[in-house]
Amino acid sequence: MSLRILIVEDDREIRSLLQSSLALEGFEVQTAVSVSEARALLDHAAPDALLLDLGLPDGDGMDLVREIRTRKAMPILVVSARHQEKEKVRLLDSGADDYLTKPFGVPELLARLRVAMRHRGTALASARLVHDREDLHVDLEARQVTVDSRPVHLTPTEFKLLARLVRSAGKVVTHRQLLAEVWGPEYTDHTHYLRLYMAQLRAKIERDPAEPRHLLTETGVGYRLAAD
Amino acid sequence: MRDAWVVVALLAAATAAGLLLDRYASLTSVAMLYVLAVAIASYAVRLPASIACALGAVALLNFFFIPPHFTFRVDAQENVVTLVALLCVAVVISQLGTAMRRQAEAARLNELRALQLEQLATELASATFPAEILLLCQRFLSRAFAGPCLAGLLRVDGRLELPADTPPAIREGLQAAVDDGRALGAGTERWPDLDTWFLPLASEGHIGGGACVRNPPADDGSRQHAQAICALAGQALWRVKLRGSIQAAEKESQWHQAQNTFLAAISHDFRTPLAAIVAAASSLQTQGDRLAEPERQRLLAMVVDEVGYLSTLTENTLQLARLENAGEVQLDWQSIEEIVGSVLSRVRQRDPRRRIQSRVPSGLPLIKADPVLLAQLLENLLDNALKYSEDAIELVVGAQGGTLQLEVRDRGEGIAPGDEQAIFRPYRRSDHAGRRGAGLGLAVCRAISNAHGGELLVRPRADGGSSFVLRLPVEAVQPAGEPA
Repeated sequence: MSLRILIVEDDREIRSLLQSSLALEGFEVQTAVSVSEARALLDHAAPDALLLDLGLPDGDGMDLVREIRTRKAMPILVVSARHQEKEKVRLLDSGADDYLTKPFGVPELLARLRVAMRHRGTALASARLVHDREDLHVDLEARQVTVDSRPVHLTPTEFKLLARLVRSAGKVVTHRQLLAEVWGPEYTDHTHYLRLYMAQLRAKIERDPAEPRHLLTETGVGYRLAAD
Repeated sequence: MRDAWVVVALLAAATAAGLLLDRYASLTSVAMLYVLAVAIASYAVRLPASIACALGAVALLNFFFIPPHFTFRVDAQENVVTLVALLCVAVVISQLGTAMRRQAEAARLNELRALQLEQLATELASATFPAEILLLCQRFLSRAFAGPCLAGLLRVDGRLELPADTPPAIREGLQAAVDDGRALGAGTERWPDLDTWFLPLASEGHIGGGACVRNPPADDGSRQHAQAICALAGQALWRVKLRGSIQAAEKESQWHQAQNTFLAAISHDFRTPLAAIVAAASSLQTQGDRLAEPERQRLLAMVVDEVGYLSTLTENTLQLARLENAGEVQLDWQSIEEIVGSVLSRVRQRDPRRRIQSRVPSGLPLIKADPVLLAQLLENLLDNALKYSEDAIELVVGAQGGTLQLEVRDRGEGIAPGDEQAIFRPYRRSDHAGRRGAGLGLAVCRAISNAHGGELLVRPRADGGSSFVLRLPVEAVQPAGEPA
């Protein structure tokens, strides 16, 4: 059975382009032009993933994301322009899975969608406990981290930070989410903690910390642990 | 009361002197002493006291010096004449003296008022805000009159801006004076019975506000003085208003000029890639079947490239407009290592030969920055270097003293001498042999650098090529790590 994707986008050209590109890749595509239409389709058509454009004519995508998150674990990808940076981060904080910045190419969209769909099955099941990619191996249960098979010693905070990224490997985790979950909800403004600890993590894990291959920075948004 | 004491003292002195001289001087001389006392009194005290002094002088002369002494009887006819003459002289002198005194007082008051107006004019000349002018007007009115005095500005809607606790009667009076454009209240043609002056702050029919003086003096001169103060304030208000409209007009004209330059540059920069896209796409549309596959791919690649260029140009244009309008950017602690890392991961897609070599030392201080803007700056610099040079490009980061320095070095043709500043100006392109200019890229870079209190400049390199240097300030106090 093919996967069903709901595209919420008010621009006709982009909507039809996305529709045909995704249909070509074997997705079953539904489209909505507004938040209210998206709501109706979500109830009746039960899509497997949602592609949500910011700046819809009839209201805030944020409410939609919150509504969906109370009921469903489906992946939500936010599509934004550069000047919608803040709104995008707000949506990610309230439960969207990933984002794409306009203009984007179809290959990038498909790649993001693949990552998001891969998480679909695991989001509700037990969390990811092992991360393996290139020279980096992380085993959360055994609390072991190796680079090129050499064990790496992490402080408890560094480990907590890495573990949080491993659980969402491939997906962006916002600054706010990381600060709240690693340090506590009262530390969501202490972004400098993240800067300092991520620098330490990069120094221990990356071959060239200035050009990381695992711990990727999503400028102004958060971090992403690269996944295959 | 004071007048009475002065009169008593003067008469006592004249009498005492008369008694002392009585034996040696004639009655006429003693009478002169009293005339002197009356003359002094006429200048020193008000008219009624002065007249009383004249009568007293006559009575005392009669009592002490005209025989029979120590009675009010007058025996000799000659002495009656002396007494009557003294009375007449004394009354005339009192009146003349009082009139002189009044004139002198009026002259002093006028001088004081002229001085006040001069001071007010001087202070108003340096006032730049309506509120300042209003305050000066109120202060000078309060200095000249017992008051209380109050002044208010006229709002755009024609109502006066007054303190909330202003009594309704005052509010109405002021509004009426402003609406009428002339003085109302005590001593004027309208509402002369009120105990307040309501005066417009007006200059040649332009009314900027209104002022009132409660419990004013009754004379016209005082009201004219108050009106003069208000007229000066009105003039100053009008001047400030005119200056504001001139500045607004200048600003608007500059804006239009900038807008025109902007539109001209935009239409030029946008048309070229659009023309290429239309040409390639229409060729694919109409001749697609007859074109060989490599040619089709080449045209498609052209469309994608040109669209990429258009998208960068659009982003830069918008960013520049935002930076120019937004003023301050939001700064937070950022790691330059991270920003470099994220930019490199994006730029590498356009750098398949890995020409960019980065040198970023560990342990760099954190800086206060907007990461998205800094990333855009760095990406623009690296993209330019990729576009304008064929050899290796170095990205070198270092910290020294209170400064963080990022340097992008290329081996391109370099910047023509004298162009080092011009390349950072918006809407100006340095045309490099057929290649498209960076458009707004460097102008955006400079705007971002400025927004961070930094410095962006270009230097020629010893063996050819350019080096773009960005210096950013580092906060002396770095944020503390996690509490232990």
